Amino acid sequence: MQGVLAALPAAALARHADGQTTHPSEQPVNRDNLGGRSVPAASQPARDDYHPAFFTQAEWHFLNAACDCLIPPDHIGPGAVQAGVPQYIDRQMATPWAAGAEWYMQAPFFDAKPEFGYQSRLTPRQQYRLGIRAIDQACRQEAGSPFADMPAEHQVDILRRIESGAITSPDLSLRLFFTSFLLANTREGYFCDPMYGGNRGMEAWAMIGHPGARADYLDWVGRDGPYPYGPVDIHGDDA
Amino acid sequence: MTDPARTKGRLAAAGALLSALGIAAVAAIVLHRPEPRLAMAMTGTGDARHGAYVAVLGDCAACHTAPGGTPLTGGVPLETPMGVLYSSNITPASRTGIGRYTFVDFVRVMRYGVRPDGTRLYPAMPYTAYARMSDGDLRDLYAYLRQDVVPVEQATRPSTMRWPFDMRWPLALWNLAFHHPAPFRPDPTRDAQWNRGAYLVTGPAHCGTCHTPRGLAFQEAGLDEHAQRFLSGSAFAGASPVDLRGDGAVAGWPAADIATELKTGRNRASAVSGPMGEVVEHSTRYMSMADLDAVAVYLKSLSPASAGRPLRFAPSGETMAAFMAARPAGRGARLYMDSCAACHRLSGLGEENTFPRLAGNPLVLERNPDSLITVVLGGARMPSTAGAPTGLAMPPFGWRYGDADIAKLVTFIRTGWGNNAPAVSEGEVRAVRRHLADTMAYTQPQSGQ
Repeated sequence: MQGVLAALPAAALARHADGQTTHPSEQPVNRDNLGGRSVPAASQPARDDYHPAFFTQAEWHFLNAACDCLIPPDHIGPGAVQAGVPQYIDRQMATPWAAGAEWYMQAPFFDAKPEFGYQSRLTPRQQYRLGIRAIDQACRQEAGSPFADMPAEHQVDILRRIESGAITSPDLSLRLFFTSFLLANTREGYFCDPMYGGNRGMEAWAMIGHPGARADYLDWVGRDGPYPYGPVDIHGDDA
Repeated sequence: MTDPARTKGRLAAAGALLSALGIAAVAAIVLHRPEPRLAMAMTGTGDARHGAYVAVLGDCAACHTAPGGTPLTGGVPLETPMGVLYSSNITPASRTGIGRYTFVDFVRVMRYGVRPDGTRLYPAMPYTAYARMSDGDLRDLYAYLRQDVVPVEQATRPSTMRWPFDMRWPLALWNLAFHHPAPFRPDPTRDAQWNRGAYLVTGPAHCGTCHTPRGLAFQEAGLDEHAQRFLSGSAFAGASPVDLRGDGAVAGWPAADIATELKTGRNRASAVSGPMGEVVEHSTRYMSMADLDAVAVYLKSLSPASAGRPLRFAPSGETMAAFMAARPAGRGARLYMDSCAACHRLSGLGEENTFPRLAGNPLVLERNPDSLITVVLGGARMPSTAGAPTGLAMPPFGWRYGDADIAKLVTFIRTGWGNNAPAVSEGEVRAVRRHLADTMAYTQPQSGQ
């Protein structure tokens, strides 16, 4: 970890101190000693009075604005922000995954084709920290204001150009940050179990007719008509 | 005319005499050391190989081998309302085991619950059933314990029974009242297979220790088929061993299904759980099919415990139809669909040899719901046996639902698909949960935000 950090531009390290915040979602899964049966961690559904633990206020504004662009609310279903996706991503920043603890993170670091997997020296936390900073910098150069303060159409245009590789940064691959983190984590948070902070009220599941943690609708396969029951989440609450 | 004072004096003297006689009688009972009567042939050595099988039949390991401990060195705690008993070391260690026991000493323990030094055992040791074991089986068992078991010195932990239960001499009176140390007598009107089953069930296998209800003095309410409540279902420590008589669902199975359940821990429609899983794991899976068939035949011959009891299962398609029509019967049905149906199916029929069928299931239909509640709260795991090696497990649900919801869920299971067992209250669930709390950290539901 020290070696990885040493290789980063000095400016990028400025706001790294709070990356170590511990979070309730980091609590280990309860296991008994009677055969390894386990239960999930406590439920932490999305809430109105949420305060981000990892993201700064400026980053939090970016994240909310970006999520709103990626999945806006409409007549079909809720938007990503309503569903709690920024809260989900902030909570994920406290997990071992976000620290790169589940990956091989040693040198050498090559530019390689996607099929060779993740090659960056950056942990997911560093991806977000540097990625948001780089995008806001690009927005300030182009329009004089950070991403969150731009009009919606302009925001979507910026994201499109990042995805296509037209906007780049010397700090990291913005394209990789967008596709592998911002967009991928937004999708996860939108359809995750509500215990992780996203998919508030299981509305995303209800939207697509997914039964959730019931994990079973075999009796309806081959029958005409829609599946008649709403979803249930891992902690047993049903919609 | 009689002098009232003299009459009084005579009465007092008579009373004193009677008291003295009473005390003497009690002392005689308490101090009496029973001398087992054995056939002359018993002086020879036993067959240790067959004795090992007798040890399986008697499930000695269930109480005398601690999980992960040295075999037969004891130390397994048995919790009773009066305190904790610890099983003893029955390896042939000379100081702390049974190394110095003569065969007569051994028989005295097995049939009368009296140690060589005269100490009486609590009837937690099922000598009330072992008394029926044949001289030959006891001799072979003795030979096995002495010759084939490795002697390990390990002192038996003293029991923590509270006063007055820590005194053992009253057990002599208990024995006088409740223990009938008569050997097993075959019923000449029945065939050899039935008689073998009767011997196994009432003797070495001591099924009644768990499956027969107990009276006020913790005596079993019957020791064989002549007692109406013998094997009619019981309740202790969060478990409710099922009714094995004619009105229980087990007796409704074909004999082959009963034998298969005992041999493999599961059959087409059901599976064992809880303490019975341990019985299968340590004992019945090693029993010969001939013996298991005999057990099944004997169990199926037992009459209903009470003649007027209504039929507890009459298959009905109504429950399944309600699910498919999106009108499940209340919250219990909804919880079943959310948490149980993926395996046990909306039809309640489960999957053969894999997920137990709940429609007509003995554990579900048992009057006392404790075992069912325990399984729902804490989950279950089938024993791994040669015939069915996969130890299929059911996850716990105690973390997911509170007592009121569990009560609704269990009540639904007990009344769905034609099951007709009494409803379960929130208080009953709370009591079982409290009991499990010591052993299972996950039985409390986890609160949301």
